Amino acid sequence: MLKTLMKKQMMELFSFFWLDKKKNRKRTGMRLAAGIAMYAALFGVIAGIFVGMSLMLCKPLTAVGMDWLYFTLTGLVGVVLGVFGSVFNTYAGLYLSKDNDLLTSMPIPPRIILTARLSGVYAMGLMYELLVMLPALGVYGVVAKPGIAAVLCALWTTLMLSVFVLTLSAILGWFVALISAKAKHRSLLVVVLSLAFLGGYYYLYGKAYQMLLDIASDPTATGKAMMRIQPLYLLGRGAAGDLPSLLLLTGMVLALFAAMMLALARSYNRIVTDKRGEVKARYRERPAAMRSVDGALLFKEMRRFLGSPNYMLNCGLGCVFMLIGMAALLIKADAVREMLAMFAEGNESMLPLLAAAAICALASMNDLAAPSVSLEGKSLWLAQSLPVPAAKVLSAKLRLHLIFTLIPAMLLTAGAAIVLKPEPVLAALLFASVIAFVLFMAALGLTLNLKMPNLNWTNEIVPIKQSASVTIALLGGWALVAALAAVCGLLRARLSPAVFLLGATALLLAAYALLRQWIRTRGAHIFESL
Amino acid sequence: MLKIEHLTKTYGDKRAVDDLSLHIHPGEIYGFIGHNGAGKTTTIKSACGLLRFDSGIVTIDGISLKKDPLACKARLAYIPDNPDLYEFMTGIQYLNFVADVFRVSAEDRQSRIREYADAFELTGDLAQPISAYSHGMKQKLAIISALIHEPRLIVMDEPFVGLDPKASHLLKELMRGLCDRGGAIFFSTHVLEVAEKLCDEVAIIKGGKLVKSGTMEEVKGDASLEDVFLELEDDHA
Repeated sequence: MLKTLMKKQMMELFSFFWLDKKKNRKRTGMRLAAGIAMYAALFGVIAGIFVGMSLMLCKPLTAVGMDWLYFTLTGLVGVVLGVFGSVFNTYAGLYLSKDNDLLTSMPIPPRIILTARLSGVYAMGLMYELLVMLPALGVYGVVAKPGIAAVLCALWTTLMLSVFVLTLSAILGWFVALISAKAKHRSLLVVVLSLAFLGGYYYLYGKAYQMLLDIASDPTATGKAMMRIQPLYLLGRGAAGDLPSLLLLTGMVLALFAAMMLALARSYNRIVTDKRGEVKARYRERPAAMRSVDGALLFKEMRRFLGSPNYMLNCGLGCVFMLIGMAALLIKADAVREMLAMFAEGNESMLPLLAAAAICALASMNDLAAPSVSLEGKSLWLAQSLPVPAAKVLSAKLRLHLIFTLIPAMLLTAGAAIVLKPEPVLAALLFASVIAFVLFMAALGLTLNLKMPNLNWTNEIVPIKQSASVTIALLGGWALVAALAAVCGLLRARLSPAVFLLGATALLLAAYALLRQWIRTRGAHIFESL
Repeated sequence: MLKIEHLTKTYGDKRAVDDLSLHIHPGEIYGFIGHNGAGKTTTIKSACGLLRFDSGIVTIDGISLKKDPLACKARLAYIPDNPDLYEFMTGIQYLNFVADVFRVSAEDRQSRIREYADAFELTGDLAQPISAYSHGMKQKLAIISALIHEPRLIVMDEPFVGLDPKASHLLKELMRGLCDRGGAIFFSTHVLEVAEKLCDEVAIIKGGKLVKSGTMEEVKGDASLEDVFLELEDDHA
């Protein structure tokens, strides 16, 4: 039974690899290979960032015999990224699937349904965690040259970390489900609770990470500090090959996982069948106001975005990070300036460039356009039957992305300009490059979704988080920033930051214009034919 | 009003609709019947511009669907067999959205929403999100949204599924009323008694091909529509 349900879950999650949902037929071998190669390349670029981070940490730490600290630091980063990749999947993934009624009407024990649903959440968390852990393990293998036993211990720890990520995510999903079951404003509550969880989580993570960095800078304090961070110590020791630590860590992780499974299985049927939270709103007739066709289409997209906690949390998280970034910039201006100056190695004119890269990386966490076609789902007939050109419908999707990304991005850019005080030309280029990046990413996301739509989903989390277009748009955005940074590093001696920013802006705008034209013509044709 | 000439649509090797021709005149309620998988929905979707067809001509009010699909869509309303509406909107938001797209004035939409929502006893639920609606309520909302812009032609796929008897009766009255005002209705159904009582003309499709069409009298003569349908099914088996 579990096998059957797992198969269904995995088919939903990975079907885009072998099934062309636009044409409803299997992909050819070449297309399948090309899809896998594209994913591999994307992961390679992102993993490259973590190779750099691992190299920075591995050599100095292993040289003084603090291998455990290396694994604790990389493990923490892996958990952070894993939680980012999976945490907002859980509530919807576990409790809001359209096939809930079907499955709960069948003689299937709740724990089996739950396990199958959790496998989707686990796969996403694992994918993001491995982005960090695979480079970390690879670098450790090359630098420290460990034996087979140590390699196995590190791999086992990576596996345990993925189980821990799943446990954390599932607990949040369960917590949100319990509270929102009786709530009046469920969507708002889910967003607030999830953001509070994320805020608390990142706060604790920041504290732990700082503590570990302090240890790295002052190894003599290690003994004292260890008393305060035993689980992290166990994580590092276990991964570095200490068997008792590994066993203890495994026991702790599995005990937490078992407790989570028990709690969730016991309450699963009650939560999915309890609809008491719905409050009937009374209709009062008000004077109707007319909107333009463009306004009506944008309103529709707005309603979809603001009415779905999953959509907001998974595709609009960049808004939150950009606003937090702006507040941090203004409150801790000196610290931010110092940090950027350290990366710029004293070259003041590099600061706007670094700021642009950071803002673009945050802006690419907004992927509103990337699932917007798939989200039409079974109501696609509506958009297709209206007397409105498909290009207008697609344009509304782009505008939604731009409204929710450009505004916070511009606020953050203004904050950066105030704090960094670049020359007027560099300041203008800073704004222009961020605008060009956001425009390009919006068009790229929509293009990807038109090329890889998924209209047959049983849970909206599939197009929102687990689809090829969103994954490629999210990781592609980061990869693009990393690639531009790498090019900038290579050309640093030959090109001034202003010329580089100008070139990058021009390239991005040209690419945007091409994609926009494609969306208006070929993209509109595809949308009509879906 | 709606003219379908030599319509052909294939899915891979399968001919879902094969050289089908129909002509629905103003003032007519035209029934479209056939077994499951006969090609009814494919024909209906092709006639509404939701499905690209391989060959043939579809015109609405003399306007070619292929040449000017938007002008055709502005004249018609389509109600699918399964009313998958925008569940993230409330009922009233959805009706206003459709009214905005069809450029219905504020006064007209307000009076029409009041009239039809009251008639279908949906007024009290208009502030509810559509996700909280039952199948029947969604069907009623889809019908109201189709009527809100006063289309010349309404194309419906199994419109009576999910409606309670009172709503079904009301829908039949509204269909007749629209046709009396010079509009036309083209709808598919499996409920042969309804087709027999309601339709001015009827077409029977099997395996994508039109097997019989004409006025109700021409098609069924003295027999019942059910007898004719079953006989045709056997003849073409």
